[in-house]
Amino acid sequence: MAYIREGRIHLDKSRFSSVLATYHDPCNYGRKAERIFGQGFYDEPRWIISQCMENWVDMYPTRDSQYCCGGGGGTLTTGYNAERIFYGRKKMEQIQATGASMVIVPCHSCHGQLNAIKAEYGMENLVVKYLWELVADCL
Amino acid sequence: MTTNEPISMNLLNQDLFKNWPFDQDHCLTCALCSSSCPISGIDGFDPRKIIRMVSMGLQSELVESRWPWICTMCGKCEHVCPMGIHIPDMMRAIRSLRDRDKVPGILHKGLDAALKTGNNLGLPKEDFVFILEDVADEIRQEPGFEGFAASVDKQGANIMTTIHNKLVNTHTEDLKHWWKIFYAAGEDWTVPSENWEGTNWGMFTGDDPAMKLMSGRIAENMVRLNAKNLLWPE
Repeated sequence: MAYIREGRIHLDKSRFSSVLATYHDPCNYGRKAERIFGQGFYDEPRWIISQCMENWVDMYPTRDSQYCCGGGGGTLTTGYNAERIFYGRKKMEQIQATGASMVIVPCHSCHGQLNAIKAEYGMENLVVKYLWELVADCL
Repeated sequence: MTTNEPISMNLLNQDLFKNWPFDQDHCLTCALCSSSCPISGIDGFDPRKIIRMVSMGLQSELVESRWPWICTMCGKCEHVCPMGIHIPDMMRAIRSLRDRDKVPGILHKGLDAALKTGNNLGLPKEDFVFILEDVADEIRQEPGFEGFAASVDKQGANIMTTIHNKLVNTHTEDLKHWWKIFYAAGEDWTVPSENWEGTNWGMFTGDDPAMKLMSGRIAENMVRLNAKNLLWPE
């Protein structure tokens, strides 16, 4: 955020002007950070996205009431894959409801999970993008 | 485990988990947790049952069950709980009671490798640095990034960053994003050549000493390199 505010990097909003995106709140950056550290990071990523693109919409419900993607807590590595894919259905329904073709996430586990299960929900073309990848793409 | 069979009263030991700090005995059995949980219903699982089982001291049933492992500890149940019961922490505590060789999947194996070698992959230092240099070379091919250089073990950098093991394994492309941002911002940054692992699977397996050790290594790297800030995106 400091890089953008201080003008150390300049972002080109035209790069994704024809893309509708949405944002997924990772449990660990939001609800869990809020409980454990007393601060959930909800507004910061949204502000960064707004510096990169005009067209993005929130899912519903979101922030501290969001649904987990299903890839947290080490579930990507336990081998219980059918359960993990089933877990993700709520998140995929939420993404689908926004009509977005891109979902932005600032978490490695969420990124891995959403990419791994999108085809299971007929969303092969969904672009799953790290928040920092979005920023790097707009440089 | 099966949940349809009656539980014999002589199996109950209601004092067993009395000292756990999760407030399980305050459960009102309202089932808001169960209703909020995306994995409720799988294999008979729901968070309320787990809470009651902890209250009743059904240790072996809990530990043998895969329920705590299909839970992602996302905290939605805890968020809606009117009694503020710390359900995700409780799940993690149940995970910690499993024999380490019965931890499912690659979780404990990855952690074991990390404890021995500094990263989940057991990747030697020279291979790690080679991969970083290779990716840096790719970045230099892109217009506007010709002067880019990977910064390994630099003393006194403003930012020291950890690395998720998948970024030096199957997803090296994803190493580039932060590096490009650093380059564009003129940031003074570095990566440690050892103990760079950003994931901490002790968090998932309920292994507190391992978690502390992995975090401690990152702190040691900060001290060793005299780094001012830490970027730990994992």
